Amino acid sequence: MGSWSVGNWPSFDPHNFSQLRPNDPSKKTPITYHPTHERTLPPPDQVISSEAKNILLRQFYQRGDEKLRPKRAAPENLAPEQECKHPRASVASSSEPPK
Amino acid sequence: MSTYNYVVTAHKPTNVTHSCVGNFTGPQELNLIIAKCTRIEIHLLTAHGLQPLLDVPIYGRIATLELFRSHGETQDLLFIATERYKFCVLQWDADAKEVVTRAMGDVSDRIGRPTDNGQIGIIDPDCRLIGLHLYDGLFKVIPFDNKGQLKEAFNIRLEELQVLDIKFLYGCSKPTIVVLYQDNKDARHVKTYEVSLKDKDFVEGPWSQNNLDNGAELLIPVPPPFGGVLIIGEETIVYCSASAFKAIPIRPSITRAYGRVDADGSRYLLGDLSGLLHLLVIVHEKEKVTGLKIELLGETSIASTISYLDNAFVYVGSSYGDSQLIKLNLQPDSKGSYVEVLERYVNLGPIVDFCVVDLERQGQGQVVTCSGAYKDGSLCIVRNGIGINEQASVELQGIKGMWSLRSATDDLYDTFLVVSFINETRILAMNVEDELEESEIEGFCSQVQTLFCHDAVYNQLVQITSSSVRLVSSESRELKNEWFPRPGFSINVATANASQVLLATRGGNLVYLEIENGKLVEINHAELKYDISCLDINPIGENSNRSNLAAVGMWTDISVKIFSLPDLTLKTEDHLGGEIIPRSVLLCAFEGIPYLLCALGDGHLLNYLLDMETGELTDRKKVSLGTQPITLRTFSSKNTTHVFAASDRPTVIYSSNKKLLYSNVNLKEVSHMCPFNSAAFPDSLAIAKEGDLTIGTIDDIQKLHIRSIPLGEHARRICHQETSRTFAICSLKYNQSGTEDSEMHFVRLLDDQTFDVKSSYALDQFEYGCSILSCSFSDDNNAYYCVGTAYVMPEENEPSKGRILVFAVEDRKLQLVAEKETKGAVYSLNAFNGKLLAAINQKIQLYKWMLREDGTRELQSECGHHGHILALYVQTRGDFIVVGDLMKSISLLIYKHEEGAIEERARDYNANWMSAVEILDDDIYLGAENNFNLFTVRKNSEGATDEERGRLEVVGEYHLGEFVNRFRHGSLVMRLPDSDIGQIPTVIFGTVNGVIGVIASLPQEQYLFMEKLQANLRKVIKGVGGLSHEQWRSFYNEKKTADSRNFLDGDLIESFLDLKKNRMEEIAKAMNVSVEEVMKRVEELTRLH
Repeated sequence: MGSWSVGNWPSFDPHNFSQLRPNDPSKKTPITYHPTHERTLPPPDQVISSEAKNILLRQFYQRGDEKLRPKRAAPENLAPEQECKHPRASVASSSEPPK
Repeated sequence: MSTYNYVVTAHKPTNVTHSCVGNFTGPQELNLIIAKCTRIEIHLLTAHGLQPLLDVPIYGRIATLELFRSHGETQDLLFIATERYKFCVLQWDADAKEVVTRAMGDVSDRIGRPTDNGQIGIIDPDCRLIGLHLYDGLFKVIPFDNKGQLKEAFNIRLEELQVLDIKFLYGCSKPTIVVLYQDNKDARHVKTYEVSLKDKDFVEGPWSQNNLDNGAELLIPVPPPFGGVLIIGEETIVYCSASAFKAIPIRPSITRAYGRVDADGSRYLLGDLSGLLHLLVIVHEKEKVTGLKIELLGETSIASTISYLDNAFVYVGSSYGDSQLIKLNLQPDSKGSYVEVLERYVNLGPIVDFCVVDLERQGQGQVVTCSGAYKDGSLCIVRNGIGINEQASVELQGIKGMWSLRSATDDLYDTFLVVSFINETRILAMNVEDELEESEIEGFCSQVQTLFCHDAVYNQLVQITSSSVRLVSSESRELKNEWFPRPGFSINVATANASQVLLATRGGNLVYLEIENGKLVEINHAELKYDISCLDINPIGENSNRSNLAAVGMWTDISVKIFSLPDLTLKTEDHLGGEIIPRSVLLCAFEGIPYLLCALGDGHLLNYLLDMETGELTDRKKVSLGTQPITLRTFSSKNTTHVFAASDRPTVIYSSNKKLLYSNVNLKEVSHMCPFNSAAFPDSLAIAKEGDLTIGTIDDIQKLHIRSIPLGEHARRICHQETSRTFAICSLKYNQSGTEDSEMHFVRLLDDQTFDVKSSYALDQFEYGCSILSCSFSDDNNAYYCVGTAYVMPEENEPSKGRILVFAVEDRKLQLVAEKETKGAVYSLNAFNGKLLAAINQKIQLYKWMLREDGTRELQSECGHHGHILALYVQTRGDFIVVGDLMKSISLLIYKHEEGAIEERARDYNANWMSAVEILDDDIYLGAENNFNLFTVRKNSEGATDEERGRLEVVGEYHLGEFVNRFRHGSLVMRLPDSDIGQIPTVIFGTVNGVIGVIASLPQEQYLFMEKLQANLRKVIKGVGGLSHEQWRSFYNEKKTADSRNFLDGDLIESFLDLKKNRMEEIAKAMNVSVEEVMKRVEELTRLH
C-alpha cells in the first residue's frame, strides 16, 4: 500500500471497468435524442410556478389573516390561530415555529 | 443580401460543466451523467468502461444538474435547472427507452438581481425540498409533498447578499442549509438556516462560523455519520459542524471541483485550478471527526467537475482542457502520481480565437483554434475528415501490397489477406476463433513479392508475381495452371478481375489473359512504345466479372491510355503534361457515372468522365491530395462504393449529388489499403501504415476530425501567414513558483505543418498580446505579422498604454521591424486600404506604413475616430469599418480618402455588450453579445432622413445559447463553386463551450422553406423536460425578450433526418411536399458543415 488513505476504493459492481480497453474504437458517439412522445410534458399538476405574492405581501396577508380570522373562526380553530398570532405579540418566541 | 441565416453546429459543445453519478436508467444500472452546457450525455458504467447511451439536447444552458432519489423510488431522477430560470425533473422510462418529464416549471421572478456568482440549485438529501439561489437576497424553495410531487415554489428572504455557496446539511430533522457568504467588509463566514416549509421562512440554524479563509468558495456537505460541512478555502480546509471544528492548512490553491468517494463521506477528491488532484480525508474515531488530512494524488486536466465512478475509476470533467477518465492506482508511479489517465475526451473549449486556413491547399478549410486555458491550453486543428476505427493491429514492416481473397467465389466474407513484401508473400487468414493468423495457400508462391492477387471465377484464385501468373483452386488451394512471360521479360505491373488478367512486362509489352476453369489463356498482347507504370481492369460495366476497357498509365510520355478488351485496341489517350508519372489508375463508377481516376507520383489526382462505349475521357479535373505517390483502391461502406487513395494524405473519394468529393482520412500515412470483409471484422479495411498492419472500420463520411497540439500555455490569438507558411500566436504562460504566480506573454511563430515553435518574442512585463494580424502594406508587398498589445497595470482600470509591433518572418524567425506606442490597449488590428487599422481603447486609429530616409519603415498615424466605450472588435470591407463596442452594440464608420478622415455613418442604438462582430455583406452585419444572443443589423442607405440613415436597423435576432468569441468567413467543407451549396456564404464561429458553428446566409426561398420546416419540427420534436424551442431561441437579455427572427436553428432542422419515417411523412404532409424533397433539401444543408 502506497499510502494509508489511498486505496480501498469503493466498489459497487466489481465488473465495472474490469475489461476496459483504453481508447476502444468500438465506442460510438451516443445517439442524439429527439423525443417525439407526449410525455415530455409533465402531468398538469406538476407544472410548477412560483407563488405570485412577494415576500412582503405574503407577510402582510399572513398578518392580515391572523387579524381577521379569530373573529370569524369557529371555536375549534381558535387555538391554533391564536398561537399563530403569538409571534407577533412576543418577539422572544418568534423563532418558535407554530405547531 | 445575407438577411436570412441558418445557424448550425458543426462541433458540439465539449466543455463539461457538471457531472453526477447514480442509478438513472435502471435500479441496477450505474450512470454517469455529464452536462456540456446545452446538452447532457448519459453514460452507463460497464465492464468495458463508460458506454455512451444518449446525447440529449436541452433547450437551455444548464445551471444545475443533480440526481436525487425521491421517496419510494427505485431509481434516481434528474433535476436540471437552466440559466433562463426553467427547471425540470426527468425520469428514464426503461420500457419505452424515453426520457419523460416528471415535473417542470418556471422559477423566474419579475424583480430581482441575478446573482453574480452563478445560480445555485440544491436538493435536500431527505428530499423535502429543492432550494434555488437565483437572485441576490432570495432563496427559492420548491417543496416536495410526501409522495414526491412538487408543490408551488416560494421565496424566502436571505439576508446574505454576497453568497458564495449554499448546501443542504445531511441528517437534520428539519431541512437545513449552510450558507457561505461574504460580508460588506469582504470577510467570509458560514451560517446555517433551517427552512420552515410551513412558515415559508428561515429559522436560525444550529451553528455558524465566522471569519473563514478569504478564499473560501466551496462547501462540501458531509453525510452521516459525521454530518457538518467542509469549507474549502485557498489556504485552509475547515470541517465544521455543531459539535466539531477542525482545520488544516493547505498549499495555496483554488479548488473548483470535488467528488465524494465514500458513501460515509470520509474521503473526497479535490481538483484545483492548476490541475492537481488531492484526496481529502476526514480522520475519525467512533463516528467523531478528529482531524483532516490531505494528500496529493497527481495531475489531471483542470477539473470543473469530479465524479467517482466505481472500482477506483474517476471521471474528471473539464472546462479548460480535455475531460478524462482516470484510475487511482494503489501504488504511485515513478513520479509519485497515483493518477493514471486512461481516456481523454477532447475539449475545444474555451475557443478564444481561431483562424480558417487551407493548409493542405485542397480547397478544404481547416479551423485552427486557440483552445483550453492555463496549463491545458492548446491549438486544435479541426477538419472534416474520416476516421478509421482500429479493430486489430499488428506490426509489419515493409508491406508492398495487400489483397483479400475468399475461400469460394460465392462466399460472403473474405478469408485470406495476402500481404506482399519485397521478397516474400505472407498469407493471413481468420481462424475459427476469429483471429488473424499466418496461413498458407499451397499453390501460391510465397518466396517472392506478389504484384497482384484476385478472386477468380470457378472458385479460383490468381496470384501474379514477376515471374508468372498462377491460377490456384480456392478449395484445394493447389496450383491448377501457371502462365509464364517470355524468358527475360519479367512482369512489372499486373492487374486482374474475376475473369481477366492484364499485365505488363519490361519493354512496354501488354499481355491480356482470360481465366477459364483451371486454365489461363493468353488472348492478346500489344507492344507499347514505353514502359507501363500502372494498369486497371476494374469491371464497372454491366458484367461485374469482366471489363471491356483497360486503363494504362505510361512512363516516359506521361500519359494515360484506354484500351478495349479483349482486342487491346487503343481507344483514347491523354497526355498528362509535366514530368510526374501516373502511379495508379482506376476505373470506377460513382452514383452510376463511370470515371477514370489517375493518381500521380506527387500526390495529385486526375479524374475524367469516362465514356464506356468509346473509351473517351472528358472533363478532366485535377486535385492535390498529398505529396507522395497515391495508390487507388475501391472499397464499400454501407453498400456504397468509394475509393481510398493511399498516400501521405490518405483520402476517401466519394460522390454526392453526382459530384466527386474528397475527404481526409484521419491517418498520417497509408502505403496500402485493401477492403477486408471478414466475419469477425465485417466491412473493414486492411491498412498498411507506418510499419503496422491495421484492420479497422471506416467512419461515416463528413465527420469532423480534431488534432490537438498541447502548448502548456494559453494561446489567446492566432493568425496564419500564407507566404511564410507559419502561424503566429499570442500566448501567456502561467508560472507558479512557490506562492508567487506570474504570467509571461509571448508572440510565438509556429510552422504550419509541424506546429513546432520556430521563434518566440517575449513581451514586456505586464504586456498582453491583444490582437494579431498578417498583412502587407501598399507599396510594400512583404507579409508582416502585426501584434497589438496592452500594458495591463494592476492599478489601472483600463490600459493606458500599448504597442503595435510589426514583425517580419526571416529565416523562420520573428524579426521586429517596427513598433509604435499607443495610448491604450490595441484590441483589434485590420488590414485596411494598404494601411493598418487599429482599435485602441475608445478610438479607431489608422496608420500608414511609411518609408524613412534610412530605408526602414514606421507606422505613422493618419487619422482616427473617437466615440466608443471600448472598440473591441473591428471588421472592414472596402472603406467601411464595422465596430463592435464593449457595451454600445455595433457602429458603422466610413473612411474618406480625400479628407483622410474616418466618420461615423450609422449605429445600432441598443446597449449590446459585444463579444464578436462580422460583416456578412455590404449591408448586413452580424453580432454576438454577452447574453449568448446573435443579431444582425442592416445599413439603411435608402433612409429618407439623416436620422434613418444613421440608424442600423436590427433585422435578425436569435438566442444561440453560446458565448461567441470569434466569427470568421470560411467553410469547414470542400466547397465546389459550381454546386448550389457552394453559392451559400458561410461564417464560422467558435465559442467558450468549444462549439464550432456555421452561419449560412440562405436564399430567401430556401429560408422560407426551412422556416416552415422548423415550425413543423417544433410540433413533432419535443423539448426534453418540456422546455420550449421557441422560447429557447428567443432573443433574451436583461432588458427584453423577443421571438427569434431571420435566424433558423439548423440543429433542429437537420434532426429531421433522424426522425422515423412516419414522423417525416407527418411533417412533409403538413408542408405539402414529398418526404424526398424535404430530405434532399435538408441533406443539402448538412453539407455546409
